[in-house]
Amino acid sequence: MTTSQSAAPAKTATPSTPVAAAGPRVQNAVIKYGFIFVTVTLFTYFALSEPSFRDSATLLDTLRYVSVAAILGLGVTLTMAVGGMDMSVGAVAGLGVTVAAKTMVTYNQVGVVAIIAVIVAGALAGLLNALLIVVLKIPDMLATLGTMFVIQGTKLILVDGQSITPGMTQSDGTTAPGRFTDGFLRIDRGSILGIPISVVIFGALTVVAWIFLARTRWGRVLYAIGANPEASRLAGIRVGAYRALAYVLSGVLASTGGLILAARIGQGDVSAGTSQLLEAVAVALVGTSVLGRGRPNVWGSALGAVLIGIITTGLTIKGLPYYTQDVVEGAVLILALVFSFTLSKRRTA
Amino acid sequence: MPRTRLPLAALSLASVSALFLAGCSQSTNASKDTGDTAASASAATGTKPAPFDKGTVKVALVRQSGAGDYFEQWGNGAKAQAKALGIDLTVYDAQADNAKQATDLSSAINSGAQAIIVDHGFPSTIQPEIDKAVKKGVKVVVYDVETATKGVVSTKQDDASMAQAVLDVMATELGKNAKVGYVNVAGYAALDKRDSVWKSTVDANGWKQAFKVGKVTDSTATDNVPLVSAALTQHSDVTGIFAPYDELAKGTVLAVQNKKLQDKVKVFGADVSNADIQNMTASGSPWVATAGTDPSAVGAAVVRTAALELAGRLNKTSVEFPAVAITQAFLKSKNIQNMDQLRTALPALNLSQVSTADWIANVAH
Repeated sequence: MTTSQSAAPAKTATPSTPVAAAGPRVQNAVIKYGFIFVTVTLFTYFALSEPSFRDSATLLDTLRYVSVAAILGLGVTLTMAVGGMDMSVGAVAGLGVTVAAKTMVTYNQVGVVAIIAVIVAGALAGLLNALLIVVLKIPDMLATLGTMFVIQGTKLILVDGQSITPGMTQSDGTTAPGRFTDGFLRIDRGSILGIPISVVIFGALTVVAWIFLARTRWGRVLYAIGANPEASRLAGIRVGAYRALAYVLSGVLASTGGLILAARIGQGDVSAGTSQLLEAVAVALVGTSVLGRGRPNVWGSALGAVLIGIITTGLTIKGLPYYTQDVVEGAVLILALVFSFTLSKRRTA
Repeated sequence: MPRTRLPLAALSLASVSALFLAGCSQSTNASKDTGDTAASASAATGTKPAPFDKGTVKVALVRQSGAGDYFEQWGNGAKAQAKALGIDLTVYDAQADNAKQATDLSSAINSGAQAIIVDHGFPSTIQPEIDKAVKKGVKVVVYDVETATKGVVSTKQDDASMAQAVLDVMATELGKNAKVGYVNVAGYAALDKRDSVWKSTVDANGWKQAFKVGKVTDSTATDNVPLVSAALTQHSDVTGIFAPYDELAKGTVLAVQNKKLQDKVKVFGADVSNADIQNMTASGSPWVATAGTDPSAVGAAVVRTAALELAGRLNKTSVEFPAVAITQAFLKSKNIQNMDQLRTALPALNLSQVSTADWIANVAH
């Protein structure tokens, strides 16, 4: 996976500036491939030192583990492209888990209805963000932080603060009639040709998001707005509409992540999704450093997610407790940002 | 200018390698974490059966959460017992993230562990992975998890007896028809069982439940303070609150103290740890009774159970660890400050007779 994903962006790389001296060439190589080098090196190290790490089942598990943060990270990437940020993705994913549980367990509906309800909830959350940011002019970080709390609260109110479990006694004394349908559970627990469906969704969404952002006019407009909203406006772009689009798409992606979480947990869980926010933001930030572009990009985010997965799985197999893992993850994130900002800035200086 | 950038580039790559080396050297220390050194091992005398006769045995411990005093001590007991048995124990800690526990369990199965201990978890989340493990021939021992899979060894503290022990004290203290509060969360097997004992006790005593609040997070104690405070603002006339999990009880104690109600409202908790004992015996603490097992002894007993199962010598599918009631008055009268002193005062906590054999070096006291 790692090689195929790191090879693909090479095709889309912007033509590098002509270099004459060896120094800048090495410099450029470090900026461009440094991050990929870190990923490949870590991967090789774990694969060589831990036989169980190079097992294909472990590798697929790693991808399955990061799929949610990766999909949420795609949404964050889209909002970063328009110069914004979406802090509500974790809460929206959590809302997705609650809506899925509520639809199937409390209202006894089939999986397809749950999927539609979750996606609609995600789109509405995105619209709320868009309303606050585009219409009411609240700074993106603050607006989405606000919706994060509102959504977390909403999801608790929906379920009276309880995790919805099949067969639970509800507040009116009756027993919950439904359960998570087998079809719905397949979103995370099933596989196609041996690849977990959640990983397939992650891969497919990555490709779609990449085509959208890097290969369509809309994508270029999003980047243009992020680079200079005023110039974009003067060029006749409907800046507000495009920014709103980015937040709605982010909401839909976050709720898709919520679908996977729901299928993985298999019941309501009021705390689901909260841990995903930081990983999703980290993934999108790390992504900016891949191939030295210094701007949010889809393949970068996907590779960032894979790297976080490799670190988490590798260190766990090595026996490191989770609290030391956080330090390593943070250090890698900082390192990636050095590639992205410190080195790139010097090149242009 | 270009030349000046080289050192920085080199520095970045160097720091990758440094990070790496740090990773290597740490791993050797951490994986051999000895856990609770306070536990003294009784020597094994018998001949070790397979697979313990040939070097280390690989076992994975997959936890829903290792945070909080209770779970930390539980983990320490498990690690200490694993070390005494020559088990290479890999600990997966999902940090209360249920989705992560599902993938952790999946990784544990792929890691080649001969046995997997699953500590807590939502049944709907981990059931399919447990099935997978059993199908693959991995021995599975669950702690406080409801599972229907054949071939899985189920261990738990006897939660009904635990709730009953505290609620007996509560009934004596409050009498009939009292107005009471409740701090609990649904969806955790242990808490659900304590919940059903609570419901029948409330009915039997004609208590009026004024409020029910509570949530479980990565910092449960702190996060419950505002919930209970808010409930107490509205219902300051309750005479007792049942919080059947020590992190919930700690939050409840703080909330009662914040509201300056400690002379009027008594808190009845569950579980016991060093911090819980400190909390109960602190001056002005409203926490008057709890019931518990010794988490460290339970963690160790679960690992012994897994060892017996691996050796094919367990011969049962369910092991229960009985709980003991502990009151504030008892702690104060015996001047008990910590778990070690409590173990001496209450030998029933040690579980030294549960899941043991002559070839097992027992870390229980």
